[in-house]
Amino acid sequence: MSSLIDTNAFDYVNVLDKAMDASWIRNEAISNNLANADTPNYKRQDVNFEVQLAKALRHSRYKSMDAKVGDLKMNRLKPITYTDYSGFSYRIDGNNVDPDTEGVYLAKNQVVYQGLYQSTLQEFKNLQAVMK
Amino acid sequence: MSVFGAFDINASGMTAERFRMDTISQNVANANTTRTEDGTPYRRKIVVFEEKNSQTPFHQVLNRATDRYSGTGVKVTGVYEDTKTEGNKVYDPSHPDADENGYVMYPNVNIITEFTNLIDASRAYQANSTAFGASKNIATMGLNILNS
Repeated sequence: MSSLIDTNAFDYVNVLDKAMDASWIRNEAISNNLANADTPNYKRQDVNFEVQLAKALRHSRYKSMDAKVGDLKMNRLKPITYTDYSGFSYRIDGNNVDPDTEGVYLAKNQVVYQGLYQSTLQEFKNLQAVMK
Repeated sequence: MSVFGAFDINASGMTAERFRMDTISQNVANANTTRTEDGTPYRRKIVVFEEKNSQTPFHQVLNRATDRYSGTGVKVTGVYEDTKTEGNKVYDPSHPDADENGYVMYPNVNIITEFTNLIDASRAYQANSTAFGASKNIATMGLNILNS
């Protein structure tokens, strides 16, 4: 119990790690959408992680955030890639990628990643402060 | 796909759009070419894109199981000649390529169409280039955790 391996000191780091992975995958999906912006009949793809996380956190209600994060099943927390048919297509070539919207998602995803990165750094800083 | 597959996706997009721009340039350059190798006027060329899917079904299943993204970008299917649009017939009897009635067949290149496509390709290239910047930014940030 006393070793660093089975403590819950890294609970938040583990979740942040998963979220950063999901953000990276989302960046790949948006990149693929932009690369295929002129491909006939291509439908945009996106990655959903936030809903999965919210669902996983809702699983253990009436608990503190620390307990919730500690109870998370890491292998269940998966970024889901889906094909977006919404609005089907406003273009004659059957493609539903809007480069401007994708650009906004790209920028948004970058900010999200930066936030997760800063939070991870903060977690490590806290641990280092205690271990000094 | 490798860890930094996002860069390959961005690169594929930029390569494809540049290729499209090259072809449009070729069309514009040959807008008045009345003589090609086989003696006919130049025909405008069209680039066709398709989603790149270089992965085997096994790879796709593996990627899904390990939470990886399995898209790999875009590729050029081929360059086709536009045989549907009619060429321009101009009356110019003194032209060396005029037929017996004095008409010259000019290529079916419409400068306005070409330039519209050129702007489209150039914007798409920009979008891919921006996406590459974003990928690089995120990857650098992720690697920076090692410095903390």
